[in-house]
Amino acid sequence: MLFLQLLLNGLQTGAIYALTAAGFALIFGATRIFHFAHGTAFTLAGYAYLFAWRAGWPGWVGALIAVAVATLFGMAMERFVYRPIQRHEGSFFTVFVAAFGVGIVVQNLVGMFAGRGLATVDTRLSFATEVMPEIFVAPILWIAIATAAVLFAALTVFLTRTHAGVALRALAQNPDLIRTYGLSANGISVLAFAIGSALAAPAAIVTAMTSGLNEAIGHHVMLISIAATIVGGIGSLRGAALAGLMLGVAESLALQFVDTQWAEAVSFLALFAFILFRPSGIFGVAMAR
Amino acid sequence: MIAYLSNLATQLAIFGILAATLNFIVGYAGIFSIAHAVFFGLGAYAGAQIALLLVPDVVLACLFAAAIAGGLSLCLALPALRVRGEYFVAASLGLQMVAVTLFAELKPLTGGIGGLVGIPLPTLFGVPVGVLPVALAALALVLLATALLARGAFGRTLTAIRDAESAAEALGKNVAAAKTLAVGFACAGAGVAGALYALHTSFVNVESFTMEYSVLVMAMVIIGGTGTLWGPLIGTVILLSLPAGLAFLPFIPPSEVGAIQQILYGLAMTLLMIFRPAGLVGDLSRGRATA
Amino acid sequence: MHIAPTLRRRGLLAAAAGLPLPFVRAARAQPSGEPYVMGTLFPMSGPNAEYGEAFTRGAQLALSHIAADNMLRRPIRLQAEDSQALPQPSVVGMNKLVNVDRAVWVLVSWTATSKAVAPIGDRAKVIMVNGGAVGPDLAGLSPYFWNVIALAHLEVPVMVGYLTRQRNVKRVALIYVDDPLGDAILGQLRAELPKAGAELVGSFSVPRAAQQFGPVAARVRQTRPDAVYVASFGGQQSQIIKGLRDNGVTQIICSYSAFSIDSVRQLPEAVGALYTTQKLDFESGDPVTRRFAAEFRARYNQTPVAYHANYYNAAYLFGLLARQVEQAGGEVNGDALREAMLRTRSFDLVGGRGTFDEQGNLMTQMQVNEIKGAGRSEIVQG
Repeated sequence: MLFLQLLLNGLQTGAIYALTAAGFALIFGATRIFHFAHGTAFTLAGYAYLFAWRAGWPGWVGALIAVAVATLFGMAMERFVYRPIQRHEGSFFTVFVAAFGVGIVVQNLVGMFAGRGLATVDTRLSFATEVMPEIFVAPILWIAIATAAVLFAALTVFLTRTHAGVALRALAQNPDLIRTYGLSANGISVLAFAIGSALAAPAAIVTAMTSGLNEAIGHHVMLISIAATIVGGIGSLRGAALAGLMLGVAESLALQFVDTQWAEAVSFLALFAFILFRPSGIFGVAMAR
Repeated sequence: MIAYLSNLATQLAIFGILAATLNFIVGYAGIFSIAHAVFFGLGAYAGAQIALLLVPDVVLACLFAAAIAGGLSLCLALPALRVRGEYFVAASLGLQMVAVTLFAELKPLTGGIGGLVGIPLPTLFGVPVGVLPVALAALALVLLATALLARGAFGRTLTAIRDAESAAEALGKNVAAAKTLAVGFACAGAGVAGALYALHTSFVNVESFTMEYSVLVMAMVIIGGTGTLWGPLIGTVILLSLPAGLAFLPFIPPSEVGAIQQILYGLAMTLLMIFRPAGLVGDLSRGRATA
Repeated sequence: MHIAPTLRRRGLLAAAAGLPLPFVRAARAQPSGEPYVMGTLFPMSGPNAEYGEAFTRGAQLALSHIAADNMLRRPIRLQAEDSQALPQPSVVGMNKLVNVDRAVWVLVSWTATSKAVAPIGDRAKVIMVNGGAVGPDLAGLSPYFWNVIALAHLEVPVMVGYLTRQRNVKRVALIYVDDPLGDAILGQLRAELPKAGAELVGSFSVPRAAQQFGPVAARVRQTRPDAVYVASFGGQQSQIIKGLRDNGVTQIICSYSAFSIDSVRQLPEAVGALYTTQKLDFESGDPVTRRFAAEFRARYNQTPVAYHANYYNAAYLFGLLARQVEQAGGEVNGDALREAMLRTRSFDLVGGRGTFDEQGNLMTQMQVNEIKGAGRSEIVQG
């Protein structure tokens, strides 16, 4: 029974991880930019939803605002931070440090304007009821899973059936193709950031309702996204999403076997082992070394 | 004021050692580790335990710390031999996260989250000694070793590996040995910094060895300029004295003091990277996509 | 020649005597000269900044009371440094306070900060006062390190007594962060519960950075507790409470004084949660407490909690001790302040009369509070 309960808990967390990881993987796969500020987009989206909720606006308005805020932030990062650096053939870590700085700035601004400490969106959606003996499930679980599934379906259609989507996938390997379609590499890059960041918004909203928000909330999600992107295999959205889901489930199921304090280490140990023994990831093309 | 500056100088020297050693593997060997704080921590615990259990001799503590950190650097060398680029970054991230959990849980060795307190003041062959001169000497040694190693055959092998690993291997360079040695040297250096840190603050706990510190040291290297001798040092001075200097701004209300300092700090990091992407000392024309 | 200035002063006094009385008093006792520097070393940024903000408010109110009462001959300047609740920035901040600002009194918080700066303050003979952290490892760090908050060993027995006698609790589960505080609470529960005819049915250590508590709640449910004791701090406490309530744990939630921050007291899920603090009855007859409560509400539009009171006390204590030293004609420094504290021992502080032991730890009576929602709480056992 405990196993089933932990599995369900894990799926809820996993859906959040899968969405953010997919966003990160999309951006990284297309632009090769290690978007360390992805967690910041997550934080901003969560607080945007929180403010809309506090103002008494309906949920869908809040969700739209959250998506808009995350998207705009991603696009602004691409335009004003990453692009100037990339012009100078900035190395991988230059981007990393710049994004890290942005993360610090936003985290403290959020603290100043939204108040410090934990803030939650109070809703019955996160309240679990006993559906079977010993099994507690909250409506938010189904919402999280359904949202993730719908978004992945839509994303798959977009990436395979539209010119922009194909160009997005081609950006990293075959920039010529983009020109053939009559699109600009810069435009596609912005698109990648817009879509990738938007994917963080639903995850942030679910987090605001369940475990709550603080200024530094994006940090952990960001680490998980990196881990999932690598475990899933760089360049594979499917892999990243699946790996995100698995990390969420593993973190929860680990409690069946080990003491509670080791749960997080289990995920990262898995990451470490994965890199050592199967560096190409679950779906990745072998590209180690 | 002098005591204040001397404390700041000691911390600068300690973090300078960290940045210089990290720069050695990042700048010369192309190994981007965000687990440097792990080896800093290992050294700190090792040095603290020597001082607590045996004798607070600063040289002994440093040597023991270097041995422990250098020995365990195999944990980092292993993935470095298998993968590169983003994969290695993620591997070092995994190592960092697991190490923090271990530091927090292995109470007999590390004191857990509570840490180790009451580390005695350092001595040198029985004579009380300040940490500052020792740290400066250690920093000078590390810089000297870096300069010598980088100019010699070993350095050329490393740069060859960094720029084209398979070519280096084809030319008969022992890639595995070179990488392992480079990682060992860097981690041992971080261990020395850790031992000095433990003796300087008389208290260590896991909160000084988290990923934030790994990223901070990495930022020092990048901001200063990778692959240069003085760049990491300049990065250290900037990133450590910036928050310290911002604390002297008189007009910030007490309840916002932390936030405003942090905002200026983060802003400085981002702007520096946008306008000096190769680092302050780095050569712009030489800028490469390193990973 | 020597008489002239004296005469002139007398003349001034005579002139002043003709003025309305309040003006004279103010003019004569107006603090002047180089101010005393009181430092604060709180987390002002990062995930624990909520605490720093609360601590600062308490201290600021105390300083305005010291100034309003003309307690001291010299004014006091508050110098804030950001500790980020981390050892390394704390050491930098403490060195600045001690060596640059020449602070004589430093308010500290947080276990890591306290342990990292205690050796610095000890060498410089600067009084450090903690009013936030309650780990038992904070007792006896240095003769100059005092605690104006009751450390954990006073909190747990009171809660256990209340739970078993008033709420008929037999089975307690513990969720804790495995630091010296959490460890101490675990040990106390193990020792105290059997004495009261109850038992500790499970203990779950969580990492400091953990955010998801659904899975932990599932493990807690399995132990079938009557009450869950939470020993964490900061935002994580709220996440634990919400995680438990959302995931089918309906039993009593209880904790130590760390629950007295706004983010916990405002949390809808926290209604009914119990926590211990030192005795703090704002409606009591004691004038210091009543003045504090009334003026805190007026100034910050917020009902004060234990942390505000602790740092009010921590700062106000400086006023009391420095006045003694000034009146005895001594120089206000760490040693003189410590002697004054050891000589007096008992002080009228917010919450009533508090007595220090010889290490500088405040011993107070405890009370049990129940969270009533929307930031209110009620004393359920005085």
